[in-house]
Amino acid sequence: VSGGQGGGQQAAVADDVYQLVRQPINAREIAESVKAPEDGAVVVFDGFVRNSFKGKRTLYLEYEAYEPMAYAKMREIGAQIRASFPIHRLAIWHRLGRLEIGETSVLIAVSSAHRREAFEACRYAIDTLKRAVPIWKKEYFVGGAVWAEGETPSQEAISGPGEST
Amino acid sequence: VRVRVLFFGQLKDIVGVAVEDADLSEGARVEDLFERYGRRFPKLGEFRASIAASVNQEYAGWRAALVLP
Repeated sequence: VSGGQGGGQQAAVADDVYQLVRQPINAREIAESVKAPEDGAVVVFDGFVRNSFKGKRTLYLEYEAYEPMAYAKMREIGAQIRASFPIHRLAIWHRLGRLEIGETSVLIAVSSAHRREAFEACRYAIDTLKRAVPIWKKEYFVGGAVWAEGETPSQEAISGPGEST
Repeated sequence: VRVRVLFFGQLKDIVGVAVEDADLSEGARVEDLFERYGRRFPKLGEFRASIAASVNQEYAGWRAALVLP
């Protein structure tokens, strides 16, 4: 798919990065990794662990994923972005396991020649990731824990509210 | 037919295992599997509207077949 060096907006699909990791995510390193001389903008979304959930003080979180499906869905998001936005490089990282307050859970970095497509692609990536990638979050408090309501497609969303037997 | 059933999040806590195999009749759908587990774990009924299901890594509705042709 490479069209040579001249364009600056050639789809560098082979360079797209999708990672599920259990080690801390290095936001700065990933943001640097998507930059190239022909780019003029990098947009980074850094989602990190908040210290409260529905008014309760959070101690820490645990994330788990259905990993093969999560990778497949992340690659689908990348393909959708490639079809919609003339960006240069894309990196989507999500951390799994136990995370402390303030630690990055999801990091998305998009580079492009100009800012608009990088912003739009990054926004699309995080919004779609939340809905489509099978990852679950458990919030731990003093004296208990709850699974957060996900945004993955519910039966109601797929089958319709009337359809049940 | 035999299918492998994976549970995540809250459902894994309720069922108590992350994975097990289930034997179902030919033509069984997602709803048949859910009903079977609902009998063993009545608490699952509370989550009927909010459960996400997938078959072979694609999101699937109640009527979806468990074994793709």
